[in-house]
Amino acid sequence: MLDLKLEDIDGILVRYNVALEKEMTPDEAAEELYPKDELIYPIAKSIYEGEEDDVVDGLKAAIAAGKNPIDLINDALMVGMGVVSQLYDDGIIFLPNVMMSADAMLNGIEFCKTQTTEVPEPKGKVVCHVAEGDVHDIGKNIVAALLRAAGYDVVDLGRDVPVDEVIETVVKEKPMLLTGTALMTTTMYAFKEINDKLLEKGIKMPFACGGGAVNQDFVSQYDLGVYGEEASDAVKIADFINANGTEIEKLREEFHKH
Amino acid sequence: MVQKYTSMAYAKADDMLFGNAKFPVKAGLGLEIGAGYATPELNYAPRPQAGKSKDKLVKEYERITTDAMARMVQIGAPSVVLETEHVEQMSNNPDWGAAVAHAQKTIMEEYHDEYGIKCALRHTIGDIREDRDYLQLRGDKYNTFMEAFEQCAQNGADLLSVESMGGKEVFDYSILRNDTAGILFGIGVLGSMDMEMVWSDIAAIAKKNGVVAAGDTDCAQANTAMFIAGGLLDKNLAHTIAIVARAISAARSLCAYEAGATGPGKDCGYENTIIKSISGVPIAQEGKTSTCAHSDLMGNLTMQCCDLWSNESVEYHGEFGGTTVQCWVESLAYDCSMMNTSLKLGKAKDLRDILALSDKYRDPQGYVLAYDNAYRVGEAIAKDGSDNYLRAKNAAVECCNIVEEGIASGKLRLTRFETNALAKVKADLEALTDDSNKFMSDCLTRFKEEVAVFRPENYGL
Ligand code: B12
Repeated sequence: MLDLKLEDIDGILVRYNVALEKEMTPDEAAEELYPKDELIYPIAKSIYEGEEDDVVDGLKAAIAAGKNPIDLINDALMVGMGVVSQLYDDGIIFLPNVMMSADAMLNGIEFCKTQTTEVPEPKGKVVCHVAEGDVHDIGKNIVAALLRAAGYDVVDLGRDVPVDEVIETVVKEKPMLLTGTALMTTTMYAFKEINDKLLEKGIKMPFACGGGAVNQDFVSQYDLGVYGEEASDAVKIADFINANGTEIEKLREEFHKH
Repeated sequence: MVQKYTSMAYAKADDMLFGNAKFPVKAGLGLEIGAGYATPELNYAPRPQAGKSKDKLVKEYERITTDAMARMVQIGAPSVVLETEHVEQMSNNPDWGAAVAHAQKTIMEEYHDEYGIKCALRHTIGDIREDRDYLQLRGDKYNTFMEAFEQCAQNGADLLSVESMGGKEVFDYSILRNDTAGILFGIGVLGSMDMEMVWSDIAAIAKKNGVVAAGDTDCAQANTAMFIAGGLLDKNLAHTIAIVARAISAARSLCAYEAGATGPGKDCGYENTIIKSISGVPIAQEGKTSTCAHSDLMGNLTMQCCDLWSNESVEYHGEFGGTTVQCWVESLAYDCSMMNTSLKLGKAKDLRDILALSDKYRDPQGYVLAYDNAYRVGEAIAKDGSDNYLRAKNAAVECCNIVEEGIASGKLRLTRFETNALAKVKADLEALTDDSNKFMSDCLTRFKEEVAVFRPENYGL
């Protein structure tokens, strides 16, 4: 086989990822972000490491030292997950780490719940689904996992969800945000139907839409639509709603980048 | 009867070339695939509204077929394959798929009769074996699935394909968690088992109807990994893990040919160069001409050993230069013309190397799939060819070795993140048993517990 000389390669292609890689290792970057409290630190670190058992051990120790289990959800589990989310947003760690941390955190929340009769206060409820006729659900799974990781209560309707089931669920659960994922040009039209049926019922709420087939122009065609490109935008949209309210125009200003 | 490959079709990597397969395949109207020339393979999708009724759908495919065939004769292309990837309605209602195949073939016959253009029609049946929450690989839908192949074969389809989904439920869970054993189990074990069943049946249908059982692709898994991995700057999955999944997928997609398929393999099977090295079947590939459907990091490289050159899929609508199918089939045809010219001039190996080298060092995926390295992965598979698990594991290990050598040469440059991910997969692989029965029982126990939607009965387990 012919081959290129080492020095010729850069003129043919540029590995921008290599050129731009951060100096700091992920572990070092995480270390800088952990809370210093000696009971909280090990919990946050175990979340970052995705070690479910260590998370529970850390929680047990903190509870034994007098911490309230429900407070630990916000003060330790969420803080640890916050470290993970920030590192992901900064491009320092990758999605599988986030997924494993999220599993560890959810496991920790379940454990805290078993230690008390108090009920934790989630940041808000979000209903997620994949459009009717569409089975491509990996993007939606990522969206749901990131939302849960950020402290939202997620009702995951799964894939290939009939329009009416989405409407019924929204009526029943009264979420702050509905998300839809579609990867096929043939299935994304369900979003328009959902939009129309929600409006018919007088429900005016943000409907975040994404997935391979979906684009900003399409989503802008119906009143409730807010387009998100990356799974992490779903979290940003929910956070934005908590901070600034549900006005679709404002959301579009913030998230419609094209 | 499933006959496993335990040796290589080619004595050395350098013997592999585009437009040439060790075992060419005759199909359709005067076409021979892999017999010394490359042929464009056009793939398209109907506009969304066209799926509303059978009549509308048939009309849409008639327009697509006529447009494409007309453009081929307008520019003097000697041969073409049309690939219809079923929309769900066409496989769930086998008579729809059959009506489309018949309509398309009728038009293709007219063009063949009038102009002598060599052509064939591939139908890729949708893998409809699932209900909303679970895969249903062996349930009620299996009969409809097979009926779809049968009716298409009877009504004009020359090449039968599918993008089968076995193992996907375990894979989907594992790939988002860097779970090496799960990736290996989903693709290499469950995927292979399902393919052996499906392809034995498809091959029998093809034989009965005098058509070609063409081949499969691990779109459902290896391409999912490739898409999640994305571009150089994406942060969703290490590209070193994506290429390990790809290497494993070669061991899986090979099962079609072991169960009676003869090629050409499906375009989106980026594992096809590896498969060609072992089996000698002709392959379809896609690359820079499938940017209408997705982005990848090896747009030229994939052309290196292709027999059919494809655009993956484009929605049918108008462009400045004609309809989309006309624009894309024309691009494909000019690429083929370039390959065929190089073959005639005795320069084909140079062109092959130029294509491969232009992407080889861009990313670990292209590096391993470059034909010289792909051949090595092929050898690792053939070495333990009769054990689905071991050969898949071998492929994964060899893939890691190849990437490590690339890094050591200084030519393949990876981020620390990528090299760490590679080290982790390699360590995971080294810790795995060599006993396929033990691997099976370990994985069954673990994934039954961890993956809520995993149903062993889908695999007869
Ligand atoms: C993997 C895959 C499959 C797998 C799906 C596995 C699974 N569990 O999901 C399988 C094999 C099952 C499959 C089947 C089919 N597929 Co498919 N598939 C793909 C592929 C290769 C990758 C999709 C993927 O997983 N991407 C990775 C994920 C992570 O990306 P994502 O979902 O877009 O999500 C990201 C963002 O969009 C965002 N996001 C997602 N949702 C949301 C929501 C919100 C609110 C926000 C903010 C963000 C957000 O977050 C994610 C990460 O950032 C694409 C190719 C492509 N170009 O996309 C084809 C593709 C989508 N498939 C296609 C087709 C045609 C099919 C089939 C019909 C094939 C057939 N003939 O059987 C069937 C469909 C069956 C059905 N009824 O749905 C076509 C669709 C064409 C069209 N009409 O538009 C594509 C585009 C391939 C092509 N170019 O032809 N497929």
